[in-house]
Amino acid sequence: MWDVVEAALDAAEFAGASYADVRVVTAREHSVSVADSRLDAAATHESSGIGVRVIADGSWGFASTSEPGTAAATAVARDAVAVARASALVARDPVRLAPVQAHIGTWIAPSERDPFTVPLEEKVELLLAADAAMKTVDAIKLTRATMGFYEVHKYFASTIGSRIEQRYTESGGGIVAYAIADGEVLTRSYPNAHGGDWAQGGYEVVEGFDLLANAPRVAEEAASLLGADPCPSGTMDLIIDGSQLGLQVHESVGHPTELDRVLGDEAAFAGTSFLRLEDLGTLQYGSEHVSITADATVRGSIGSYAFDDEGVPAQRDYLVKDGLLAGFLSSRESAPSIDRTSNGCMRADGWNRIPLIRMNTVSLEPGTWSLDDLIADTERGLYVETNNSWSIDDKRLNFQFACEIGWLIENGVKTRMVKSPNYTGITPRFWSSCDAVCSRDHWKVWGLPNCGKGEPMQVAHVAHGAAPARFRGVEVGVGR
Amino acid sequence: MTPMSAIDAQALAVRAVGLTEADEAEAVVISSDTALTRFAENRIHQNVTEHDTTVSIRAVLGTKNGSASTNRLDDESLAACAAAAVAAASASPADPEFPGLPEPRPVTVREDTLEPIGFGPVERAEAVRSIVEQSAIRGLVAAGGVALSTDTVAVANSHGVDVGSKVSTARATVLSSGEGAGTGWASHFTPSTVGFDPAAIGDEAATLALRTSSPSDLAPGDYTVVLAPEAVADILDFLGYVGLSARSYVEGRSFMSGRLGERILSDAITIVDDALSAESCGLSFDFEGQPKQRVALVDSGITCTPVTDSYWSARTGMPNTGHALPAPNSIGPLPRDMQIAPGDASLDSLIRSVQKGVYVTRFHYVNVEDPVPVTLTGMTRDGTFLIENGRLTAPLKNLRFTQSAIAALGKVHGVTEERRLFQTMLGSALVPGLLIDAWAFTGQTG
Repeated sequence: MWDVVEAALDAAEFAGASYADVRVVTAREHSVSVADSRLDAAATHESSGIGVRVIADGSWGFASTSEPGTAAATAVARDAVAVARASALVARDPVRLAPVQAHIGTWIAPSERDPFTVPLEEKVELLLAADAAMKTVDAIKLTRATMGFYEVHKYFASTIGSRIEQRYTESGGGIVAYAIADGEVLTRSYPNAHGGDWAQGGYEVVEGFDLLANAPRVAEEAASLLGADPCPSGTMDLIIDGSQLGLQVHESVGHPTELDRVLGDEAAFAGTSFLRLEDLGTLQYGSEHVSITADATVRGSIGSYAFDDEGVPAQRDYLVKDGLLAGFLSSRESAPSIDRTSNGCMRADGWNRIPLIRMNTVSLEPGTWSLDDLIADTERGLYVETNNSWSIDDKRLNFQFACEIGWLIENGVKTRMVKSPNYTGITPRFWSSCDAVCSRDHWKVWGLPNCGKGEPMQVAHVAHGAAPARFRGVEVGVGR
Repeated sequence: MTPMSAIDAQALAVRAVGLTEADEAEAVVISSDTALTRFAENRIHQNVTEHDTTVSIRAVLGTKNGSASTNRLDDESLAACAAAAVAAASASPADPEFPGLPEPRPVTVREDTLEPIGFGPVERAEAVRSIVEQSAIRGLVAAGGVALSTDTVAVANSHGVDVGSKVSTARATVLSSGEGAGTGWASHFTPSTVGFDPAAIGDEAATLALRTSSPSDLAPGDYTVVLAPEAVADILDFLGYVGLSARSYVEGRSFMSGRLGERILSDAITIVDDALSAESCGLSFDFEGQPKQRVALVDSGITCTPVTDSYWSARTGMPNTGHALPAPNSIGPLPRDMQIAPGDASLDSLIRSVQKGVYVTRFHYVNVEDPVPVTLTGMTRDGTFLIENGRLTAPLKNLRFTQSAIAALGKVHGVTEERRLFQTMLGSALVPGLLIDAWAFTGQTG
């Protein structure tokens, strides 16, 4: 494969590129899904190709093709240079990249049981058993059980001399029970909503979820929601479970700290950020209980890698430290705007996409509380679990999340279940209201394989570590 | 790289079917050539092209299904893909309700209109320059993109289905903003570069940006709204996604479930899915090679029917409307070329009829909180105005809404005659502007 990579690099330089990097990527996907006691899908997908990114005449160009071989690689490299020269027709300052050392190496993420060799019958049997266990509850009218697997093998080379090979496998899955009656659809998921939970590793990841053992509880909770009271409307203290808080971190810390958004590169599509470059080190993002890291080295996380897609080594960096804005997610092009080098966050969704600044494992660092103590310490509040819906404005300020389930907290006791709880807030005001974060005993990394960004749309696999935390005086029950 | 012809794609699909040793087989070929020039801060910052062809094979053994796909097109890779599909089917449990792959039906193939070869990277850059200049001369900055794509799609199956077509689109977006200004938005989406006027959309966005400076607050509450067509497209898209599929209908997750033939929406609202209309960019057949039908989804506020594919047609007894997605499909059939019928008003006349209300240019980050009433939440952006005494008076800060689309579309009191085509999550939407009596704004940014 290196011959194809070298051919593309040579062609790009010969055509006039002042910088070039080449990625050859082969990705395999396998998905199995069961719905309502029948197999919904059993499929595999393979995709491979080459993407060449160049700077020529001071501007970027990128071209990609699925056609194999050195001839196609050479042609696509020349196309990339032609595209870059066209970019230069509407340019400002020439592109400047933060320095990075050349790296030569191979990284293979740990994985125990190859999910692509586990018999399909075994997977279907597990999903159908979990499905049947949910169906034992009368009110459950619809069920879904899914599992999926990715295997990625990529070669990266750049004109500064890097030659990097990386391989990893990701596995995930989950179950969903739908209680449906009188025009109401109430959902309960495990271990997380929107496709379950995901981690780097093999089939052992899915086995570790123990979907079958959790299916009856999931179904019972969904059925109970039909008879639950609506979420009250008003302002109250809010305790958010780790999975929902992971998404809260994602939307209201991860995305706004992407430096390309801050610089306006995504303005027309996903939006910008309320953060400005000059906020670094001065903006109070949250309370002193809020420290948030971006870490590409967390073992087993789908946000982990050894090198990003610019050949920058994986790092751990603070985005928020003790409430203060401490960093941004950056790239080689954007990092000079804050007088830093890249912290290695550039990743592409396959051979046919350019790398963009993406989250890795962006986590709320654990605090000291136990969940029981936190609830006991809350006089009047709401405890919510598992995301149902999310929305945030184009500057990442005004958010609204809906969850699958909630319980009122009255005089320090978790009491009545409520259905369809939601809450809304403004990002720095919300994080400043955080007065307690649970301890590492409650902390877990949640895999999120569906982070959309960019045009053409790219889907990144990211992760978030979080433990339950409390926020004072939050508006809940919006529009209820 | 040049786009694959429909004939070549059909030949590839037929070859893939022939390689699949199963009771029944289906192959879908999608060959895409796309180019996108993105700009921000008045300069091109991303400029990409892509060429890819994927073959997806569905194998059927009795009533057992399995699927596999690849973008390697050599004989060995295609044979391995076919074998993987057969192996998946072999290991799958039987589905007694699977009706078998569909038989061939006549398909009218649309003529391709776009010539992307004549609109290469230099032409895209020139278009960007024309867009950006409109902001730059006003001291503003522009961001957006100019995209061209050609998709060649072919479907074949072992019963003789053998169809192919090439569809193309041209799309451009521009967001203008700057110091002392708000943000303004304009977009273009057509099946052809004919009629694409980059300077015009650049001017539209920059003009709007200048009008939205110093936005005012608005207290949360129910307001009369005039939704510009792009805002309507977003609402219609979610309505289609959660409510207009035979699958969500059968599963009780649709506003139509158990309510066909009822007047649920305003009588001013008629919704059809029509890939065959002159304005549409869609394929004239679905991913099972069945002809897409013009489907009346809602007629003068009365629910008519969801869209189907072969599987959900058999399960419901409804006709196959030709709305299958590629196999394996765990979503169900979806309407991808929806339209709302025009009315007789103009946007100006709708605004003039409002004593106090809100004008919305477009929405941002809409999501579903409750599927049956299609309760949505999202934000306004890039041109939200207070309407007072029939005039747009003050720009407003971006507003959050939490609103049932079904309830809102039950209170429509004006529909524009002019409609516009937009690219959406599902495909495309041809929509007018709407006057809606009550829309719940539940918060604002700032």
